[in-house]
Amino acid sequence: MKKIFSRLICMIACLLFYQLTQAQNPPVTVEGNIRDAQKQPLIGVTISIKGKNTGTQSDANGHFKLKVKDAPNAVLVFTYVGFTSYEEPLKGRAIVSVILEEDRKKLEEIVVVGYGAQKKKDVTGAISSVGTKAIQDVPVTNPQQALQGRAPGVEVINNSSKPGDEPQVRIRGSRSLSAGNDPLYVVDGIPYAGNLSDIGTGVIQSMDILKDASATAIYGSRGANGVVLITTQRGKVGKPVISYSGSYGVVKQLGETDMMNASKYIEMRREANRTGGKYDDNDQDGSDKKIFNATEYANIKKGTDVDWQSLMLSPGYQNNHALSIAGGTEKTKYTVGFGYFKDQGVLKLQSYERYNINIGLDQQIGDRVRVGASLLGSYSLRNGETYNGIDNALKMLPIAAPYDDKGNLITFPTGDSQQPNPLLDYVNNNRVELMKRFRIFASLFAEVEIMDGLKYRLNVGPDIQNYNYGLFQGKNNTNLLIGGGDATASKGNAQTLAYTVENVVTYNKTFKKHTIGATGLYSVQRQNVDISTTNVRGIPVETQQYYNLGQALNVTGVTSSLSSWTILSYMGRLNYGYDDRYLLTLTMRADGSSRFAPGKKWGYFPSIAAAWNMTSESWLKDNHILDNLKLRASYGRIGNTGINPYATQGVLTRIPYSFSNKGALGFVPGDLRNPNLTWETTTSADIGVDFGLFNGRVTGVVEWYNQRTTDLLMPLLLPYSNGFNQVLANLGTSRNRGWEVGLGGTVIDNPKGFSWKMDLNYFRNRSEILSIGGGRTEDIGNGWFVGQPTYVYYDYKKIGIWQDGDAALAAKYKAKPGEIRLEDENNDGVIDAKDRQILGSPQPKWSAGTTQRFSYKGWELSIVAFARMGSTIKSDFYQNYNTLFGRYNNLNIDYNTSKNPTNDFPRPNVNQERPNNYQSLAYFDGSFFKIRNINLAYAFPDAWVKNMHMADLRVNVGVKQPLILAPYRQTWKGVDPEDVNVIGIDAPATWMLQFGINAKF
Amino acid sequence: MATAEKSLKENVMKYTIPIILLLAMAATSCNKMLDEKVVTNVTDEFYNTKAGFQTAVTGSYVSMRVFYSTERGMTLTETGTDIYTNGSDGDFKFTSQYSSQLDSRYAHTREVWNSFYQTINTCNVVVDRAAKIADLDDATRTKGVAEAKFCRAHYHFILMEMFGAIPLRLNENAAIVTESHRDSVSAIYDAVIADLLAAEKDLPNTQSEWGRATKPAAEHLLARVYLTRASSPQAKPTDYADAAKYADMVIKNYSFQLLDDPGKVWAQGNENNAETVFAAQYTTDPLYGYADNNACRFFLMQYDVLKGMKRDLPNGTPWKRFRPTKFLIDTLYKDRTYDTRYEKFYTRTWFTNAPIDNLKAGDTAVYLPGYDVTDAQIAAKPYMLVPPRLYTEKLYPSLNKFADALRPDNQASGVRPFIVFRLAETYLIKAEALMMTGDKQGAADAVSVVRMRAARPGANLAETQANRDAMKVGPADMTIDFILDERGRELVGEQLRWFDLTRTKKLVERVQLHNEQARANIRHTHMLRPIPQDQIDRSSTPFPQNPGY
Repeated sequence: MKKIFSRLICMIACLLFYQLTQAQNPPVTVEGNIRDAQKQPLIGVTISIKGKNTGTQSDANGHFKLKVKDAPNAVLVFTYVGFTSYEEPLKGRAIVSVILEEDRKKLEEIVVVGYGAQKKKDVTGAISSVGTKAIQDVPVTNPQQALQGRAPGVEVINNSSKPGDEPQVRIRGSRSLSAGNDPLYVVDGIPYAGNLSDIGTGVIQSMDILKDASATAIYGSRGANGVVLITTQRGKVGKPVISYSGSYGVVKQLGETDMMNASKYIEMRREANRTGGKYDDNDQDGSDKKIFNATEYANIKKGTDVDWQSLMLSPGYQNNHALSIAGGTEKTKYTVGFGYFKDQGVLKLQSYERYNINIGLDQQIGDRVRVGASLLGSYSLRNGETYNGIDNALKMLPIAAPYDDKGNLITFPTGDSQQPNPLLDYVNNNRVELMKRFRIFASLFAEVEIMDGLKYRLNVGPDIQNYNYGLFQGKNNTNLLIGGGDATASKGNAQTLAYTVENVVTYNKTFKKHTIGATGLYSVQRQNVDISTTNVRGIPVETQQYYNLGQALNVTGVTSSLSSWTILSYMGRLNYGYDDRYLLTLTMRADGSSRFAPGKKWGYFPSIAAAWNMTSESWLKDNHILDNLKLRASYGRIGNTGINPYATQGVLTRIPYSFSNKGALGFVPGDLRNPNLTWETTTSADIGVDFGLFNGRVTGVVEWYNQRTTDLLMPLLLPYSNGFNQVLANLGTSRNRGWEVGLGGTVIDNPKGFSWKMDLNYFRNRSEILSIGGGRTEDIGNGWFVGQPTYVYYDYKKIGIWQDGDAALAAKYKAKPGEIRLEDENNDGVIDAKDRQILGSPQPKWSAGTTQRFSYKGWELSIVAFARMGSTIKSDFYQNYNTLFGRYNNLNIDYNTSKNPTNDFPRPNVNQERPNNYQSLAYFDGSFFKIRNINLAYAFPDAWVKNMHMADLRVNVGVKQPLILAPYRQTWKGVDPEDVNVIGIDAPATWMLQFGINAKF
Repeated sequence: MATAEKSLKENVMKYTIPIILLLAMAATSCNKMLDEKVVTNVTDEFYNTKAGFQTAVTGSYVSMRVFYSTERGMTLTETGTDIYTNGSDGDFKFTSQYSSQLDSRYAHTREVWNSFYQTINTCNVVVDRAAKIADLDDATRTKGVAEAKFCRAHYHFILMEMFGAIPLRLNENAAIVTESHRDSVSAIYDAVIADLLAAEKDLPNTQSEWGRATKPAAEHLLARVYLTRASSPQAKPTDYADAAKYADMVIKNYSFQLLDDPGKVWAQGNENNAETVFAAQYTTDPLYGYADNNACRFFLMQYDVLKGMKRDLPNGTPWKRFRPTKFLIDTLYKDRTYDTRYEKFYTRTWFTNAPIDNLKAGDTAVYLPGYDVTDAQIAAKPYMLVPPRLYTEKLYPSLNKFADALRPDNQASGVRPFIVFRLAETYLIKAEALMMTGDKQGAADAVSVVRMRAARPGANLAETQANRDAMKVGPADMTIDFILDERGRELVGEQLRWFDLTRTKKLVERVQLHNEQARANIRHTHMLRPIPQDQIDRSSTPFPQNPGY
């Protein structure tokens, strides 16, 4: 590596001397105005002199002034995002005014790539971009949500509706079994770890998703799961613009979970006792008195019928405000923004609140030096991160009364000590849980243009994170009421300090038809995490909450840890273009990671990509239909570091023991050293076609890829008799293959009247485990099977309910009528572990998303929708609330009885805690189609706005999640089929009606 | 032109040099930055220090907690015997019933296997590294090695009793090894006895920290091991004599003595009593507690749903897992005139703690008299009267040896030490060994010591003596079945029964006779537990399963 850099420096020096020998003419000042086709001034257009490095930008009135040396021969180049670049030979004039044409082909559009930016037409890799407009179309609480349904190959699945939760993002599927499948996030050039929620979504200008080996290989050991580049807002030339945007939304649950009401519950409990032989239908009242306790019986007589869910839920809201000031001169550009966001969930104890500040600064020093900074600061408060109050409410009997005659909460409304009143969590601070997070993330840079085309850039990115977590559970908290016990509290603190330092040298030069771009990088990234937690029991006075742990009766646990890692990297990239027709990109990255053993620390990740701009060929140049056709192919290797620090170190496990009732410290050998651990390596091939038709009216991309991940990090399970359970090793292989299609088009185009634009994306990915090492074809404990996706459901399969008529056959299977009938998969007459089978996978057969945008004069209607088809999902609801023995309330399902021979759900039975094989009830078709958002916006007419002394004013109204079509919802009365692998019970799924305003001054 | 040139030159000077410096710095400093230093955790180099050595010695004990006083240890040793069967709850009824689920995937056997072998590797660290640790004084070294050998022998022995021929691990392993094989039973006996003899030689008579291995603890275990080998195919002619010899050393050489009241032996807070030879340690300090100590719950019937009762800390959490067989209650504890053990060891009366209707706090709420009563008598009582014919899986006399009211709350796991070896068993080992060598008088004398202690105290000395005499047994009583019955009466619940029955080859016979739930299923196969499937699957060399599984 050292050699390469010394050569590079040699080259730089030679070029410098070449430059010094060039002669130049005396300068002239040129000025003029720049407008668009509608005669509106264009602000911030870059005006440069062809072949020279000097240039300027147009001001707020579209005016520019520029000193030009050698004026007679100079050519001015006008470039502006979204417009066709335009060249005007000066021919000695001092005033030049131009009109720029909008570029619908967008080939001049700048795409952010790793360590730099490229024009879209020069890109050789597979990159999807999501711009400001799309990000602001949908009310989102974190950046990941803005990607949902927007880009082919990018799958975003919400984990829950809990305020503050972040969704799962997968780019081209999952490949790793145990080393993680999350993409790498890079914010303003600096790798970003941890909660993306810390970034206010209003701060984001664009997100670019790197998908293939060519695009991601420059991130080497961390690129295997794809890379998401996030660019934040920067100031623009012009007078200060003050922008305000605000919105308020009412949040409500998408629908209550369909539980039994009093009469259905009472009948189910009777049926459960009937099955158990404890209900005499000839003496109903007498039997009721036996099977219901006195309280329950009295409530039934009173006609008590309580909907506990509705008692627990109340409408939440989302409140969002952002204020920013941006502006700048040619030399200095700035933006300063403040944000406030609050998401109050429908469960009172769950909320998320965030304060944001962002500062962006760019300063030109002289002709050749540029420095700048962006700073993102956030402070957030999250309540009820682990709270799950809806669980007790769903289980609570509808025949139980929440309040006594005096209006006080009844602690155990049914007398059952396992069923405390869920409303108790809401009163007297019985449960307090607060996570306070503070973060400053900065990206600072200095860039020097050493000579034309040669730049050196230094990026420094410090990142400081801090959290302070407290959980207090009073004696009358439902958790403690169930177990019995004294008030508990815990407190946790963590500090993360990280920094990235990057040295980037770039060189760009055009010689006749040859374009060369070279990038060299040396970087260091380091992170240090320091965590501590304390748990106590027996808080003397409950108002102390978690603020005075020292006065508690017992300390039940204390932990702390320090963990740090370093990555050192060298990267080189060479872009070569010939005549705008042939493009070639070569990259090589070398990463050194502290996590691996000496001798195994360095990994090398090369890639190659080529592209052919077919429309630049003479034989296509003159056609009037096709205005862009580019063929791309790439091949390369990328890695996944994916192991925790210290995995190669032979760490001892502390197991406590005691002598004479006094604690004693015991250490046993816990982790075995594996000095051969290395990266998971993904070898990826990608072929893509970009095309544009009818002067950019239709654009699209089609891609095929094949990724093979080898050296999968997996536990190698050892015979325990040698003292160890397992050791992490590089064992398996997996594959991801898929297709992606993206289409964008303007269906109706009438800038003054009605227009209709749409974006569509469709993709399918097949992940498959090819081997898991050791000659095994399955690892049942981990649920890994060769030939299957990386995550599958392996369980017994329910094929119905044993009916009364089948009693004899049922008995052979040791089952009784009314119980779940499982498939005897191997037909051996016994249901045992061998009858478990693969029931499905959360991986969809295909996914698709669309954005439809209709506009008419100032009105714009946008609809964002997406679909995931052919996945299987597991629902905790159908497992936890289907106990069918009468102790708890139940989902309102169609259960089997002697008189109702349904095959859907088993017969209630008082002699069980759950139906036998209840797990088999939880699997569903996870397919769904969702309209994520419908938004209607109105922009006030310019004249009216001007009268109000404003630059822009828009109002909008939106509905989030207005429609879900899914078998799980429509057929099985579930609420929301969208969840990561298992539909969990934490916060009810919600929809929202939101009103917003955007103003610029 | 000149100025342009100058500024360019300046630029070159200004920026190129720092870049070169930076790059040079980068190239030299890189490899150091990638060194990984463990701060939070401890790596195995720690064992090479005195402090590390001592944590390894303590680490040698930790599996005692995995086995004793836990669901796995108790299910494996108490249920599916002639004296205990399953209650209404729990996932492991198949252990008690010997049904087909008792196979190689059985979690308890796997957990014991895994934990013991991890800890045996810790014992091996102590034994192998002791000589190489520079700052270790000889006394600490010798005692530490002896303790580790005691623990290693203990684990190997239990594993062998459960699984038969097992891998014998006598050296530290720190490498990735996928081979494994079964060693011969005789080699295991030899190694266990060698370890115990070495431990016995070096261990002190007492330890300042209660719970550490001592010389009498090693002797007690030696006696048990010899007794076990004596009745095995690997028997040596001297084994019974050796068993009696080491038992006698425990009885005679120290100050152990039986407590006057058998009910006090397991009284909470009194575990470290004159009768205790060795105990697995638990603590009231939650920072050093262990979550699996649930002995206080398994034997307890479901009192808390009965009229006038609610769940509270002194009564405990009724998990109703283990239920006494009719044979234990009706036959072994038939004598309740002279023998007080049934009433001492069993809770039969519950007192109202949730007053309702006519039941006031402290009134009897539930009473299990232990003899039959008529329906009319039952109807006449204000409380719930339950004769044996009405016992169910949720309603039965409950063993109270492990009751644990010092837990911080009813949710918390147990804080009580578990008595692993006690003098009463030493006497019974001695008795069995003497009887097998033909010394029936000696055997009867040893058994009588234990029995007479359990005699009901009389109103006066004479009555007491009469009761004690009534408990006395003679040479004619000495059969292996009597010894087993006596061990059942005295040691019920103490994690010995299944081993007693397999040692004496009485498991199948007695279970078929006395355990209704297991009668139909038990086979000779069940004299050994199935080898955990993981061990077989993960071993790169063939690792045969025990026959019949």
